[in-house]
Amino acid sequence: MIKLIEKIEGEARLNFSFDKNKKIDFVDIEFFSTRNIENILQDKPALDALVINPRVCGICGHAHLLATVKALEDCYQNIKIPKNAQILRELTLNFELIQNHFKWFYLTVLPLFGYKQHLLKATLPSQTIAKAIATVGGQYPHTSYAIVGGVVCDISAMDIIKIESYIDEVISYFENNIVVAKSEEFSECDNVEKIMIKDGDLPKILLNIKEKSWEYVGKSYDRFITFGENSYFQSGKSIKTRVSKNLNTDDVKEQLNQNSHAKNVTYKGKYYEVGPLSRAMLKKTPLIKDAHRRYGDSIFSRILSRVCEIPQLLKHSKKLLQEIELNQPFYIEPKTDISKISACGIGIVEAARGSLIHKVELEKGIIKNYEIITPTQWNLSNGEKKNLGISQKAMIGESDISLAEIIFKSFDVCSVCTTH
Amino acid sequence: MCKKLQILWLSAISCNGNAHSFLNYPQLDVFLDNFEFIYHPIIESDYTLEDVINKDLDCDILLIDGAISPEFKKMDEPIINIVDRYAHKAKKIVTVGTCATFGGIFSQSGYAYTTGLHFNQKNPTFLFKSLKDKTISISGCPIQPEVLASTLYAIKKDIKLKLDNYLRPQEFFAYTVHNGCTRNEYFEYKIDNHVFGKKEGCMFYDHGCQAPFTNASCNKILWNEVNSKTRAGLPCMGCTSPDFPKQNLFKTKKNMGIPQDLPLGVGKRTYLTLAGVTKAFKIKRLEEELF
Repeated sequence: MIKLIEKIEGEARLNFSFDKNKKIDFVDIEFFSTRNIENILQDKPALDALVINPRVCGICGHAHLLATVKALEDCYQNIKIPKNAQILRELTLNFELIQNHFKWFYLTVLPLFGYKQHLLKATLPSQTIAKAIATVGGQYPHTSYAIVGGVVCDISAMDIIKIESYIDEVISYFENNIVVAKSEEFSECDNVEKIMIKDGDLPKILLNIKEKSWEYVGKSYDRFITFGENSYFQSGKSIKTRVSKNLNTDDVKEQLNQNSHAKNVTYKGKYYEVGPLSRAMLKKTPLIKDAHRRYGDSIFSRILSRVCEIPQLLKHSKKLLQEIELNQPFYIEPKTDISKISACGIGIVEAARGSLIHKVELEKGIIKNYEIITPTQWNLSNGEKKNLGISQKAMIGESDISLAEIIFKSFDVCSVCTTH
Repeated sequence: MCKKLQILWLSAISCNGNAHSFLNYPQLDVFLDNFEFIYHPIIESDYTLEDVINKDLDCDILLIDGAISPEFKKMDEPIINIVDRYAHKAKKIVTVGTCATFGGIFSQSGYAYTTGLHFNQKNPTFLFKSLKDKTISISGCPIQPEVLASTLYAIKKDIKLKLDNYLRPQEFFAYTVHNGCTRNEYFEYKIDNHVFGKKEGCMFYDHGCQAPFTNASCNKILWNEVNSKTRAGLPCMGCTSPDFPKQNLFKTKKNMGIPQDLPLGVGKRTYLTLAGVTKAFKIKRLEEELF
């Protein structure tokens, strides 16, 4: 049985097969087309990647910019990136995650549970936080303000005041709509039950899941990986709550996929889940640990962990903003012009949907090879029956196709990124 | 209330950036009192993409987002067939973004004959020539939300828009990105020592800024209502232009020290004369930090 999944930044086709008990025993995940971004980049001057790569994706293009700039900077042996630039880059990436999570919750999740999509509840906070990105980056989406050596802007005390008020506005939006409580109370809470009794759109969805007895639905391998590290996220892998820190990106492998334009990704031959749930498992976020202890890596935990990142990142962003030192530089011109660089570099960031990896090979400043591994490639890998991908494994055993769609979308699917 | 205009948003070879940029339109609620998307890649709609392809739906305005190639398909249906079918039904067609207008970045994606609806960069294409009379182009990578929304209102109100040679509304595209840039004085007095990470300086002389010869309203209608790339300190990449993206975007191409691309309508000789005159200025205020 074939189902077309729409409005996931493009489309995907799920081809279900069933066993004799009418339970799903395999799902073939097909993405239709690619834009061959990696080929477009070939033979282009290195810095042009800063303009081309945000165009990988309309909803998480900023993560692609930041992975690009990190990959290019990694080609240098010695390069100094000012602290102010690192802070701003982290801030604007946080803001992109926040706009993404609001949109996903109100545009994608609500309709899955029988409610009407709430366009304005998605766009109001995401417009506000996009203003914060534009204040430093000039515009959102598709800015290229992070360049090799720092950022292009030089912000003032007034800009910081402005950004802080955008953050505060979004915090109060969250507190009035998603979980009606002080956002600190939400982000520091360690008991799911305490969230469920609150008012707000998130508790409404979580209760809905429990009423339908779906809280255990959508479990996969309980195997998580996070590569990106910054002042908030921690890298490592977590297998059934056992955490190990040492990761080697050489063990990340892409495989071509016969049926689909998306490539599969494994770490040491195994599929891993990336994204907010994975990040929370590694950071040991109390509320998500509680959800995971109760319901495992189910849709309940996945939805909760994605939304839970909003207040946490807002709070962390306020702290980061105070660390900017206005008398210090935002950009330091690299000593060597990039046209003299022949080297390989890797850039990793945590995008909205999980770890994003960019790899570049430069020859005298010209791109000879470029490789992009997106978070959704991890979660939506189209494995075989004997080695299922993360989302495939999560859908197996269900008999209802529409529930399988909910499970699929709980990974926050992005078609344009998956195929790029 | 008068009848809502029915819009079909059709995505071809695209990144969805225009759709997300449009979600930043501040008066979306009022907009949706006036227009209805029969299909949109993000916004909930009465019909699915499958319906669009398999059924024969009515629509007043067809929006095309992304580059077009005879090789590119939406669920096994060639995109040009879908465009053709709805373009003939629609009263107006709007190409949304630089890819749909000129081919843009994704004209390099490797599909055969990838172009915009009516242009392959600067050159006219012929496949949909008969539809030219009812097309309006909105270029930009991505589009500015207000430019698209206001154009749609103009269609609804039957306002006859003056269009440029690429079918773009002059109201928005007669300006250059340079108009309204807060760095204008550094350009005027040719203070060419711009370094990144500073409020001061003009990126035209060294860092590839295309604002003086790029048609768009980025510094008139600000992005996200607050800023623009050039104000922030990022060169204009010329993303509304037919030849976007050029190469070596962070460097100004020069011949004998003179920028290869000069401000729109300015000749090389007069530019040199002007450059000579500006050298006479020594403006302390512009050579120091602003504050």
